[in-house]
Amino acid sequence: MDTVSSRTREAPLVMLLLTLVPSIAVAVRVADALWLAAGAVLVMTGSSVARAILDGARPAGTPETGTPAADGPGEEDRTARWLRALVISSLLTAAFEAGLLAVAPAASAALGIYAPLLAVNLLVAGKGGPDPSGASPLRATLSSLRNGAWFAGGLVAIALAREVLGAGTITLFPVSGFGGTITLSPLLDQPVRALGFAGGGLLCLGYLVAAVRAVLARKGSAAPRAEASR
Amino acid sequence: MAESIRHAGPGDPATSAAPHLRVRMSTSRMAWLASLSLLPAAAWGIVLFGLPALIVLVVSIASAAAAEAAATLPRGKVTLGDGSAFFTGLLVALLMPAGVPAYVPAAASAFGILVVKQSFGGLGRNWMNPAMGGVVFALLSWPGLLSQWAAPLGSAAANAAVPPLEALRAALAAPGPRDATPLAVLARAGYGFSGLDSAAVGWVNSHVLAPLGTRLQPGTLDVLIGHVAGGIGSTCAPLLLAGAAFLLTFGVIRWHLPVFYIGTFGLLAFVFGGLGTGQGWLAGGPLFQVLSGSLVLAAFYAAPDPVTSPLMNTGKCILGAALGVLTFFLRFFGSLGDGVAAAIVLGNCISPLLDRWMERRKVQELGQGVA
Amino acid sequence: MSWAAVVFTFALVDNVILSRLLGLETGDGARGGTRSVWLGGSIAVLMSVSAVAAWTLDSLLLVPLGLTMLRTPLLVFVVAGIALGFQALAARFLPAVLERSGVSIPRVGVNCVVLGLVLITTRAEYGALQSFLAGLAAGAGYLLASAMMGAIRERLEIEAVPPVLRGVPLQLITAGLMAYAFMAFDRGFLARLLGA
Repeated sequence: MDTVSSRTREAPLVMLLLTLVPSIAVAVRVADALWLAAGAVLVMTGSSVARAILDGARPAGTPETGTPAADGPGEEDRTARWLRALVISSLLTAAFEAGLLAVAPAASAALGIYAPLLAVNLLVAGKGGPDPSGASPLRATLSSLRNGAWFAGGLVAIALAREVLGAGTITLFPVSGFGGTITLSPLLDQPVRALGFAGGGLLCLGYLVAAVRAVLARKGSAAPRAEASR
Repeated sequence: MAESIRHAGPGDPATSAAPHLRVRMSTSRMAWLASLSLLPAAAWGIVLFGLPALIVLVVSIASAAAAEAAATLPRGKVTLGDGSAFFTGLLVALLMPAGVPAYVPAAASAFGILVVKQSFGGLGRNWMNPAMGGVVFALLSWPGLLSQWAAPLGSAAANAAVPPLEALRAALAAPGPRDATPLAVLARAGYGFSGLDSAAVGWVNSHVLAPLGTRLQPGTLDVLIGHVAGGIGSTCAPLLLAGAAFLLTFGVIRWHLPVFYIGTFGLLAFVFGGLGTGQGWLAGGPLFQVLSGSLVLAAFYAAPDPVTSPLMNTGKCILGAALGVLTFFLRFFGSLGDGVAAAIVLGNCISPLLDRWMERRKVQELGQGVA
Repeated sequence: MSWAAVVFTFALVDNVILSRLLGLETGDGARGGTRSVWLGGSIAVLMSVSAVAAWTLDSLLLVPLGLTMLRTPLLVFVVAGIALGFQALAARFLPAVLERSGVSIPRVGVNCVVLGLVLITTRAEYGALQSFLAGLAAGAGYLLASAMMGAIRERLEIEAVPPVLRGVPLQLITAGLMAYAFMAFDRGFLARLLGA
């Protein structure tokens, strides 16, 4: 089944939403999702800006140093680009982690391993949009911000659903006078706790992707619908 | 349960590619037959637990029907007539405590129909049992609500609302002398059985067994006929077995899975069940364990579901044994109730893999035969 | 934690795919059968070797020098390096492995599974042997989960599935239901099983 569906193209938005999979583990409270989304936006944007700048410093098409020019974009070139992307992405993630630890240690603890995982998680996310290489840093920034917004939107939407239905609360940031947690009493009594577990996150994401597809199809958008044909 | 039959498709399995064709036979009859065979147990549940039980049944079935209608209406064809939604709602209700708030069985049924069944294409295409999937969802969401049971009619005893299995666990958790059988343990702990039970057991003991030198434990009748706290339809083994016999006769289910399931579980319970609680080897009280919780109900009505159980008889036996092992471990060490619903859904997960493995072996065997 | 506890936890209780949501492949990467066995085996090897390497790095370098802030980038490189090394070795000595697991090793090697496991073991400050065992157990859990999902996918009938759900959403829903089933293996279960 997936042999064929993988070859039909998914809408870029759907591909982007897929990169949410590890991150939805923390999408159980809205505040945590917001922090992680902020980190994602930072890493995505920073990565593509850095890439645009570095690529801009060399004319497009010039092979990386050390690869045989005759190969063109060969295996080694790909590996080199991949490594470079890793460097950028992991440094940005480390910066985000350090910042988060300083500003909101509780959130840092709540995000656990999923903050550092942004380093590799988003390598794929960047491919969801138009290829930023060759684009100016400004366009790269805008493109990544847009991707980041979708990522954040999906993550927060899932967190909202899971927290409201699964715990009867909405956890935001404590601001003067406001403790940070909104409680919804009728739901607080016996919330649907199953939504707060890993399975709940996967189910929510699955139906979210389906909803996105339905909306895209209805809009008759240019992105081809992914239907596995036999 | 009984939503469809899967057959290996036409053609030599050695040459046809996976997946094999699935031919669906007339399913209405099977699902309605299955529901029919559950009616005695449901009726007994209403007798035992009264109006609350009836409410749970109605709500659960209505929810399943509504979910099924909502899911199939957009596609133009409402499939309520095939009886499978009715069966799912019925099965979910029979596993619930009588006094549970209505939204719990409603949610369980709706989840089972919408997520577990219709999302995968509806009748015959699901890999997880809809009723069991819904029950597990409910167990994970509202564990507290699903462990508040109702006392059966005619039991005025203080702890009558505690099912025997849980009472046994509580009694064994406390320090003290250990009796040989579960019923003896319960008697010592002061678990109350019904007047009918005392009368009947007393009579049998004094008139029949005393000359033979043995005696029945008080509570034997109650446990046997299911006059104890528990799921609405899961307590009365005789009625369930009668329904199962009905299904077996009509070929709706095969005997392999239930027999291996109950047999394996019983054996493990017998040999190892008494170990953790200081009663020693071979002291697990297998009959008590088999009759407790929803084992009998699940073994005949959920596990052998032709849609989600292995194709070949060997596979059925293997899965049955696996379910027995899983139920044993999950009941004696696990956290999700009596271990049955969790075991069934885990079995649903491994069943396709088991099928594949057996297909492979068969293809290999055939290949060798041909060559 | 005892060995048994480590194995049980990483394979079942906190299954990398079904509990930690790492390494769930959707679309192209998601196939079952022998492919998942080879892939799972490769991942198990990658994870255990990486875990030990990470332990070495962490205990000999990062912690004594107080450089834990650099943990993320350094671990990423350790994992990437090991994955590349694995690919080179396999290409040289065991090409069948690469062929049969089917996916480019660097991509797999650095996807969230291996890095995630390494992060878990370093943060929990496991010893070398424990990390190694955790990696193997996690790989076994990965193998189990992906084999089961592959087998389930094979028997799905796409024509009957509502179009918006075909493909990725249904894979996610399948994983979600399986994750619920696996919740039967929880810490309480583990504690009673091993404590008994």
